[in-house]
Amino acid sequence: MKVLKTIGNCCLVFLCVISLCVIIGFVYYHYFVKDITIGVNNIDNQVGLDIQEVLKSEDLTEEEKDELKDRYFLEVNYYSNDKGNGIQLQELRMNYFTSYRLTSADYRSTGMQYLGDYKGLPLDTWDGNSEVKFGNPFGNNDRYYGTSDTAVGIANNYVDKSFNYYDSTNGINFNGVTNENGSIATELKRTTNFIVKIDNRAFAVTLDKYFDKDVGDVRNIFGIGWKVGDTYNRYYYTYGSLFQSCMQAVRTNSASYGDYYITVDLSSLFSIREFDTETGKYKYDDVTDIIKTYSVLKFHYDENGARASSQSMFGIIDNNSKYDLNEDKIDTSYWQERMTYNLDEKSRLRGEEIFAYRYSEVYDGYFVSLTMDAKKLFGEIPRAKVNVTFDLNADLFKGKEMKIVGLDYDAFNGVELDMLTVKGTAQTFFFLDNSLLNTDVKTVRHSRSIILDGLEKATNTEFAEVVL
Amino acid sequence: MKRIIGLVILYILAFALIVAGVFCGIRLYKEVKSESYVNGSIDISNRFSQESFIYTSTSVVFYHDLYDDTDTYSFEKDLLKTENFDGESKKYNVVLNDYILLNCDIKAGSVFATVNMDFYDTDGQIVNSATLKISIKFLSGKTQLTLATTGSANAQFLEQYFADNGMRLQIIEIIKEAI
Repeated sequence: MKVLKTIGNCCLVFLCVISLCVIIGFVYYHYFVKDITIGVNNIDNQVGLDIQEVLKSEDLTEEEKDELKDRYFLEVNYYSNDKGNGIQLQELRMNYFTSYRLTSADYRSTGMQYLGDYKGLPLDTWDGNSEVKFGNPFGNNDRYYGTSDTAVGIANNYVDKSFNYYDSTNGINFNGVTNENGSIATELKRTTNFIVKIDNRAFAVTLDKYFDKDVGDVRNIFGIGWKVGDTYNRYYYTYGSLFQSCMQAVRTNSASYGDYYITVDLSSLFSIREFDTETGKYKYDDVTDIIKTYSVLKFHYDENGARASSQSMFGIIDNNSKYDLNEDKIDTSYWQERMTYNLDEKSRLRGEEIFAYRYSEVYDGYFVSLTMDAKKLFGEIPRAKVNVTFDLNADLFKGKEMKIVGLDYDAFNGVELDMLTVKGTAQTFFFLDNSLLNTDVKTVRHSRSIILDGLEKATNTEFAEVVL
Repeated sequence: MKRIIGLVILYILAFALIVAGVFCGIRLYKEVKSESYVNGSIDISNRFSQESFIYTSTSVVFYHDLYDDTDTYSFEKDLLKTENFDGESKKYNVVLNDYILLNCDIKAGSVFATVNMDFYDTDGQIVNSATLKISIKFLSGKTQLTLATTGSANAQFLEQYFADNGMRLQIIEIIKEAI
């Protein structure tokens, strides 16, 4: 028994010594060795979308696919209307996931739209019964506060009805409407969780921060002041705060108007938690002393005012996808467009002349044909409308002392032509065999003094001949 | 009696010491093993420049200056600075959507091009012929893109075209001549 007691005491002493060492070690490490850990969460490009799957979609244009590739957590579209030629339009969009699985099926975009210059919540916006005051970073009111569960509950469920809210599941097509009767779009409130992808890991980003403002009484006698009491007002940030902050950041960016990127610090507004795959829950960072959350904000800042709904990042202005301020609107529906190429002796393709010239001793002049490079180009271009004009007296030919006598064999064979024009002084213009074969040329125009020779062997289509 | 009380106090102190030691040990372990949660990295260092010029947009809206008496409708955009453009010593293709543009006036730090586009109705008749002038200036701090046309009708048809087809304007350096 005595032996056991001695052993017990020894163990106790041993444990005490160990504990003492650990305590000393901890105090030493905590106060003398350990630096403050500064963590950084960078909410980077949202390329986490399963883009390969989306890129297969035939519903999206190439430009829309490009937009999807260049996806950021925060995007701003701001028409300042400084030129007074439209309306002031402010838009903020968040691109995120709804699940930690981070698949394309979980992808969402939710946006806020404000027509005008959003000034934040009015100074008297509060719920007097529950002492809730919403934070306005640019405001200076400090009358109301509340930290009770009721107050926090009201603050967390507050939705600013000043905005139109829009949703998208593919980042391209948006829908949504907000009014006093409700909304079918995601209305942004403090409890809304955005899941973003950082280093292939899921993080929940929540706008749940607030700030306390010291409003304790300060006494002052003969210039000596001291504080009485310990009173704080609690201000709750809302998505209106974020919206206003982002607009302010865009408005004050160093590059001014245009399409650029800036980095914004979201630490004061958002908390961020990593998804723990082991527990299936989002964990808090309990070891980092200071954590900053940065995000790239992609923006378009315009000195014009918004004029049409196509300028909105949602394709909708004021819940109207046909929004257009143009008073002289005409019917612009059309069947097909064709790009018109007007080729002449000065035309160049990739810096080189588009026509090739072959000298003929028999005709004592040059025959013209389209270069192979140009033929290939026009063969690949859909719906190109090609007009060709030869001015036989052009300065270029005069300068080179070149006499153009006609079109060479297969000069335009296979290239669809709309109109061929030959201008100049009296001479015969020869069309060698097949020079206009398979061109489907519709009109051949020439000066009255120019005689066209060999046209019947040059083409296999009917055309109109016009004398200038 | 005093000895017993002393022993009890001693045991309590020892117990408290051990508890404090365990607590400090856990904290120490956490601090030593803690990660700083440095997540992700934002690389926007090259966001203010780009190697080759490309501008894409899902729509274009033309504005008419009320004080302009030339009936010009224009679309202006300041874009990221473009590096390495040299119209004097390099050759470029200017491509708008699927169309390679000819007759482009390419100078040291600028590109000017003219696009003629006809729009046909369902009977195959031309309902509008619009001319679009494209100007791209590569300035030291930014790239300035301007599209301009004359007349409200032309502007509206071009807006419709870009709304239907999007806009993809590229300036591609020709590294190797086509054979």
